[in-house]
Amino acid sequence: MIKINGLHKTYGNNEVLTDINLAFSKGHVYGIVGENGAGKTTLFRCITGLESYTGTIISDLNPLKNHLGLLLTDPFFFSKMTGKEYIRLLCNARAKTNIRIEEKNIFNLPLDQYASTYSTGMKKKLAITAILLQENEYFIFDEPFNGVDIQSNIILTEIILKLKELNKIVLISSHIFSTLSDTCDEIHLLRKGAQIKSVQKSAFKDLEQEMRAFTIGNSIEKLDLK
Amino acid sequence: MKDYFYLQFQITNRKIKETGINPILAYILGLVAFLLISAYLFQKTEFANYIVLLTCLSLLSKLSENNRTDFLIATFGDRLKNKIRILENGMVSIPFVVVLIYKNAWLEAALLCAIAILFAVFSFKTNVNFTLPTPFSKRPFEFLVGFRKTFYLFPMAYFLTLIAIQVGNFNLGIFSMMLIFGTVLSFFAKPEQAYYVWVHAYTPKKFLLHKIATATQYTSILVAPILVGLLVFYPNEFHIVLLFFLIGLLFVWTIILAKYSAYPNEMSLPEGMLLAFSVYFPPLLLVMIPFFYKKSIHKLKMLLDDQD
Repeated sequence: MIKINGLHKTYGNNEVLTDINLAFSKGHVYGIVGENGAGKTTLFRCITGLESYTGTIISDLNPLKNHLGLLLTDPFFFSKMTGKEYIRLLCNARAKTNIRIEEKNIFNLPLDQYASTYSTGMKKKLAITAILLQENEYFIFDEPFNGVDIQSNIILTEIILKLKELNKIVLISSHIFSTLSDTCDEIHLLRKGAQIKSVQKSAFKDLEQEMRAFTIGNSIEKLDLK
Repeated sequence: MKDYFYLQFQITNRKIKETGINPILAYILGLVAFLLISAYLFQKTEFANYIVLLTCLSLLSKLSENNRTDFLIATFGDRLKNKIRILENGMVSIPFVVVLIYKNAWLEAALLCAIAILFAVFSFKTNVNFTLPTPFSKRPFEFLVGFRKTFYLFPMAYFLTLIAIQVGNFNLGIFSMMLIFGTVLSFFAKPEQAYYVWVHAYTPKKFLLHKIATATQYTSILVAPILVGLLVFYPNEFHIVLLFFLIGLLFVWTIILAKYSAYPNEMSLPEGMLLAFSVYFPPLLLVMIPFFYKKSIHKLKMLLDDQD
């Protein structure tokens, strides 16, 4: 369980998250959606403890961060470090040793090559593999499907469903609605740092329609495409 | 090219200002400190020539970073990049060369000039498809990445030890050991991204001890060939060899603690000056280690949980 109560986050006078109240239960997958700048990544960073905030975040496993696998939108990789060494770094950080990394290479990554030479999608797959091997209880995937090929997207969807089956808590942000509707039990919509609504799986279609109407409006007509 | 140097000057000034010191005052103080420390060094130790050479080499190797070189080539092209790099290395080396010439260390001065030009013109890149094997892959990342970036310095240092043994120059042997320590210190020069600290399920204390233990083990591996060589061929000087080895390790511990004492920022100028001063007065390390340790624990509490 993770519970967020009255979370606020400000940068100077600019409030970027306003009174966020959310609860996440074991064995569920949650989607966090919103436009660019809505506060999704900041919310994730607050949950991880990478950002300071006011309000409370409580979890059944403490400290939360030690049981949390975090996939950043744009993961950073050291130069001159191979894929295998990157995985080892992240596993060592959680005292997970003796992991047979080659056997767990489900995305068939060239693990003996420097990770900094990987393509965007390969880098994301490497980061996902590493946090899965950390054996976490909670997962935050910030834009996991971005830049990843279709085959790997299919694998990733199956991984998320498997994590749900294993009673983990998974939070995902994505700009591709279909990836969320395939995996999530509940979606929370953020707009300008505020929690607008929470929608159960049965109402995902309505949410998509609503978001489409709000986002597109008459903006395409304004272009007067010819 | 003029704009590039003006921009570098502005960036340097900004960095100095961030530490709360007036840039003009910092330049004057820096020059005075450099001259005083050099004079003190030549008065106190016979290794002064080598220390000056080593200090300058470590600065030059920082300027020769591959990413920097790539940026300069992409922005200015090959020829202009060479000019910029020679000028940069020249500006950094001149004070050191002047000191060496003043002290009649002509050979070291000439060597420094040659290396400055060599570092400016050639980049020591490895083929991207080739992964350089290292003995450090079990516990990434500092030694793993650092070794691969500076791999060419290690055979050089071991070769110097060989010469030191062959020609019976003990000082040169000590210098080669210091070259390794200097290189290891550069592995900890820059703070890593917050994620790579945050990801550890350790307390700040355990995190630091883990870093120090890894650094001690891996530094010992790198220094071992020189240490053994000097102990075998200069058995009468074993106490000096071991003393330098111990002081070198203390410096490695200090730089780790100094790095995290400023985290997530880079080390500030006063901290850097304290560290530089302790090169000339190593007993200061015994005060600095607990000081930096306390500060590091405080800084790391922002990212690491303090409960076991």
